[in-house]
Amino acid sequence: MTSTAHSRRSFLRSPWVVPIAVTSAVAVSLISAPLFASGDANDLPDITAEQLMNQVLDAEPTAMSGTVVHTARLGLPDMLFTEATGADPISLLGGSSTIRVWTDGEQRSRAALLGTMSEYSVVTDGAEMWTYSSSDDEAVHYSVSDADLARLEAMSDEARAEALKRQGELPTPQEAATEALTKVEEFSTVRVDAQSTVAGREVYQLIVTPDTDETLVKRVVLSIDGETKVPLRVQTWSTQDDTAPAVEVSFTDVDFSMPAESVFDFKAPASATEREVVVPVPEKDGTMAGSDVQHEMPVVTGTGWGTVVEFKDLDIAALLAKDPASMTGTTDRIIGSEEAQKMLEEFVPEHSAGMGLELGALYDQLTTEVPEGRLLSTTLLSILATDDGRVLVGAVPAETLRTMA
Amino acid sequence: MSHARGSFGRQLRSDLRILFGRPRTIALLAGLAAVPLLLAIVLFVAQNSGMAGQGPGFIGRVTGNGLFLVIASLFLCLPFLLPLTIGITAGDALAGEAQTGTLRYLLTLPVSRTRLLASKALTSLAFAVAAVFLIATVALASGGAFFGLTDMTLLSGSTVGLGSGMARMFGVAAYVALSLTGLVAVGLFFSTLTEVPVGAMAGTTIVAVVSSVLDTLPQLAAIHPYLLTHHWFDFAEFLRIEVNWSVLSSGMIVQLGWVAIFATLAWGRFTTADVTS
Repeated sequence: MTSTAHSRRSFLRSPWVVPIAVTSAVAVSLISAPLFASGDANDLPDITAEQLMNQVLDAEPTAMSGTVVHTARLGLPDMLFTEATGADPISLLGGSSTIRVWTDGEQRSRAALLGTMSEYSVVTDGAEMWTYSSSDDEAVHYSVSDADLARLEAMSDEARAEALKRQGELPTPQEAATEALTKVEEFSTVRVDAQSTVAGREVYQLIVTPDTDETLVKRVVLSIDGETKVPLRVQTWSTQDDTAPAVEVSFTDVDFSMPAESVFDFKAPASATEREVVVPVPEKDGTMAGSDVQHEMPVVTGTGWGTVVEFKDLDIAALLAKDPASMTGTTDRIIGSEEAQKMLEEFVPEHSAGMGLELGALYDQLTTEVPEGRLLSTTLLSILATDDGRVLVGAVPAETLRTMA
Repeated sequence: MSHARGSFGRQLRSDLRILFGRPRTIALLAGLAAVPLLLAIVLFVAQNSGMAGQGPGFIGRVTGNGLFLVIASLFLCLPFLLPLTIGITAGDALAGEAQTGTLRYLLTLPVSRTRLLASKALTSLAFAVAAVFLIATVALASGGAFFGLTDMTLLSGSTVGLGSGMARMFGVAAYVALSLTGLVAVGLFFSTLTEVPVGAMAGTTIVAVVSSVLDTLPQLAAIHPYLLTHHWFDFAEFLRIEVNWSVLSSGMIVQLGWVAIFATLAWGRFTTADVTS
């Protein structure tokens, strides 16, 4: 080590100055990077809330691609949604998920939910849709029947878009924004907030506050790209949590050029298990054509943000018990030779869910027992499944549902 | 100056010869090379059993396409085996010389301490690169021999040709090798601190392990992006339909930060230390 002969005066000439300087430089660049990213003053022209809303809803869809980070703080146990299952839409319920999106602004789009070593892709081309899960190596093809397709052709653009709304899609800021804005007109107060920066773009901020205090939603903050009027970030704040938004969907980088053609092509890989799903297109009154299951129409109570929907005659237990293997995707994983399959079938009881998330257990873990039935309570949404087979859903406090039940 | 540069080249060649000629290094490399080979044999034998098509990190896909053996092997070696072997070589670089008493003699050569340190750093780095590419090459060869190499299905569900698949595998290996530079620098710094090589070796390995443990704690999410090991598995980016280079470069920038800090720390320590043995 340095001998006692070295005095403080010679410290500046000591080689140790170099590592200290380098370490400080690295530390400074770490700290200052986020500051530079958001420090710019914006100079977008002033706009009223009304004008901005209309511009967002009227904006022509544009070709774009980018990375979206979806963060949920719903107050659900985090450990359930770890990487153990690979990229799976269920992971959106907790923590942060990264989604990469591409759209040509017209008919075709691709969204990919990224896992560390896995990916869940949704590729849409007009009335057709593919999903591909790399952890299960399963491709699902959603399409509509020829008759429905003809009916779709006859519809107006809006009606067609409405009819093509399907489950399995991944969340994007656009979708979240449209949903919030449709509730705006009658039930909320809207104002424009200070301009900001999202994904390196200058944005307007629109704050939507529900007029009622019956709901769990405190406010929704939309960040709208100043140039294209595309929503780049949507934060939904809960009345339960003042420190961070309950759900945040935000672009971290965005590019408004046309994505490569190859991104929109999808052919199921040769190795994958393929499944065909024909999606029924709802008639104008909302009933399903060709669907033999007769569901009772749900009962809607309340308006706007405080709406509660009540579904009747749902047997939760049966739903959960129904073919658990197909729901956790274990059958797809067990594809060895024929004799191996036979052996497995002998040893594994029919209803074993194997590895992965067992749906029944998940349901038990997420819900709590209340006198009326089982309750799932999150910071934004409450779901009550009563013992007599009704399910009540609403963005309202759990107590509201319980008094209604 | 030309004299000094020539002696630096000699020093580097000599260091490389000593490292790669050492039985211990050869044993370490042989052990790493055995991983893909063993994995290929196990998967080949088990492919008709109920376990076929299962396993984390692409292991289930290897039987269909030998190319995936490259990723599966690197995926298995990256968390522990590679940090361990790099800890052994980088940790030994100077502490080993100090322990055997040869460091004194090295310092009498007409090579400055800075250049001696640089030579040791490059030698340790060469081992890391050699280890990664050896695993990848053996995996490619045994994957091809046991299962054949065909067009590659990406995580996104798209299929790319064999040439593109090979290029992507090269990208994975290169990314993994570069991801280990930070750990090499840490090992070199530890090696300047002690005359007990085992201490530096263990310290280096522990840094990698502790870093990956910290990476799993959600309470520390704020520091995760800067952890040494956080971006190691981002090589999966090469298996997506569009490789996002900004993801890969952020991993490289983090390594650069670790290298800058620990290389200069090692330099500060080595150029001021009294070498008595």
